Amino acid sequence: MEYIIAVLTFTGITVIGVLGSYLVTGLTGLFSFGQAAFFSVGAYTSVMLVKNLEVPFLLAVPAAMAVGLLAGFLVGYPTVRLRRDYISLVTFGFGEAIIALLNNSVNLTGGAMGLSGIPQYTNFTVVWASVAVCLALVVGYKYSKYGRQCLALRADELAAKAMGINVNRIKLVTFLFAAAMTSYAGVLYAFYTTYVEPGAFGWIVSAEWIIIVFVGGINSLTGSVFATILLTGLPEMLRFASEWRIAVYCVIVLLIINYRPIGIFGEFELTFKWLRQLGKKGVKAS
Amino acid sequence: MSRLEAKNLSKAFGGVQAIDDFSFCVEERQIVGIIGPNGAGKTTAFNLLTGVYPIDRGQVFLDGKELSGLPQYKITQQGIARTFQNIRLFKGLSVMENVMTAADPYSAYNLADVFMYSGRKRKREKEIREMSCNFLKLVGLAGYEEERPENLPYGLQRKLELARALASNPKVLLLDEPAAGLNPSEVQDFIRLIRMVHDQFALSVLVIEHRMEVIMTLCDNIYVLNFGKLLASGTPAEIQNNPEVTTAYIGEEDEACLQ
Repeated sequence: MEYIIAVLTFTGITVIGVLGSYLVTGLTGLFSFGQAAFFSVGAYTSVMLVKNLEVPFLLAVPAAMAVGLLAGFLVGYPTVRLRRDYISLVTFGFGEAIIALLNNSVNLTGGAMGLSGIPQYTNFTVVWASVAVCLALVVGYKYSKYGRQCLALRADELAAKAMGINVNRIKLVTFLFAAAMTSYAGVLYAFYTTYVEPGAFGWIVSAEWIIIVFVGGINSLTGSVFATILLTGLPEMLRFASEWRIAVYCVIVLLIINYRPIGIFGEFELTFKWLRQLGKKGVKAS
Repeated sequence: MSRLEAKNLSKAFGGVQAIDDFSFCVEERQIVGIIGPNGAGKTTAFNLLTGVYPIDRGQVFLDGKELSGLPQYKITQQGIARTFQNIRLFKGLSVMENVMTAADPYSAYNLADVFMYSGRKRKREKEIREMSCNFLKLVGLAGYEEERPENLPYGLQRKLELARALASNPKVLLLDEPAAGLNPSEVQDFIRLIRMVHDQFALSVLVIEHRMEVIMTLCDNIYVLNFGKLLASGTPAEIQNNPEVTTAYIGEEDEACLQ
C-alpha cells in the first residue's frame, strides 16, 4: 500500500512537470528540452534554503519559485526571439549547464553525491492538492486570451503578428508560467524523496515530459494527465516492466507516431459539457 | 493629411530591387488598388507597410504618425489590418476563435484575472465572443462558429480572413488578392462584401488584385507597379487607357512579327 501511494505521489509530481511542458511545447509549440532544469532549480533552491539557512519551508516555496522565475527570465527573454529549432538547442544547453553547475559546486550542492537528509514536508495529499490547483490554473490559462494567442502563434507566427499579437511577450509569459510551476514541482519532489542529486534532472527527464505530452495529444490537457499516469504510474506498478521503461516509451511513441500522429486524445478535452452530452446519449440509447 | 501615406519606399533582396522609390497615399474612406504583373513587388509593398520586412529607405505614415520601424504587432494595433494572398488562418482554433484572437490584444484583463477565474475575465470573454459573432454574421459565416477553418470551402476561408482582419479594429484594410481562387459569382459576392464593410466601418482599403473587374469596380484610384517601380497612377478610366500599362501587361507589338 505504502509503495502504491509513493508511486501515485511521484506520478502527481510528474503531472505538474508535464503541465509545464504542455504549456510550452503543446500549447505554444516551443520545444523546450530544458524543462527539467527548472525542476532542479526549484528543488535545490528550496533544499539549500531550508537546510543551510534554516528558512521555514513555507517561505522557501515561494523563494524557490521566484528563483525559478528568474532563471526562466534569463533563458526565456533571449530565446523567445529565436526560431523554433534554436529554442530547443538553447533550452537543452541551459538544462545541461544547470546539471554541470550542480555537479561542480560541491560545497553548496554536494556535487554528484547530492543532498540528503531533507525533512519530508510533503505527502500524497499535498501533492495531489497541488496537482488540482495547477490543473485549474492551466485550464484557466488555456481557455483565455492567452491560451488562444498561444495556439494562434503556434499555428502561424506571421499571421499572429499581423493580427496584433505581441508574439514574444506571449511566449515569454507562457515560458515563465511554466518555469514557476515546474520549480514548484521540484520543491514537492525534493521534500518528498528527502534526497536530491543532479542525475535526477537531466535532459532525459525533459524529453520524457515532452514525449508524454505528445503521446497524450499535442493540444489536450486531458491527454497530458492521462498519458502521465499511463507512462509513469503503470510501469512502476508493473514492476517487472520498469527496467524496460525507456523501451516501452519508444514502442508506444513509435506506435502513436505511426497510427495516431495527433496523440491519443488529439485536441479532445474532457469537459462537463461533454459528460452531460454523453449522459444524454446514454439515456437515449437505453 | 492622408490616412495612409508611403514615401519613397525601397526594398532590395540581395541584388533584386523589389520595391524602388514607391510613394502613394490612401485618403480616408478611399479604396485604392495596386496592380502589376507577377513579381512587380505588390505583396512586398504590403509586407513593408505591415512591418514584416524592415524598410531599406522611405517612410510610412498613418494619420501623420510614422509607422516605419515599429514591430509588426504595434503597426496592427495602430490600425492596419491585412489578409494574406495564400490564406493564413490559425489551424487548431475554431472559426470563432480565429476571429476572437484578432480582438484579444485589446481585451482588458490580465493574468491575475485568468488565474482567479474572475468575473472580469468572464465578462470580457463574453463581450469578445459576441463581437466576433457579429463579425462572422456580417461576412456570412453565421452557423460555422465551431467549425475548423481548414474544413471550410475556399470562398468561406477568404471571408473568415476578412472577418478576422476586421476584428483587429482597423482604420486601413490591406487585401492581398482577395478574389484569387474564387469563381465569378463568388467574386461578385466578395466585391459587394468589401463595399459593405468599407461603408459600415468607414475604412480605407488598399487592395492588390489581378482580377480587373474587382479593381475597376471598387477602386477610386489605382497604382500600377512594374519591376518595383511605379509605372502609372490614376483613376480606373485613366489606367485603362494608358498605353504603358497595356505594354507592361501584354507586351509590345513587335514590328518584325507584323510583317
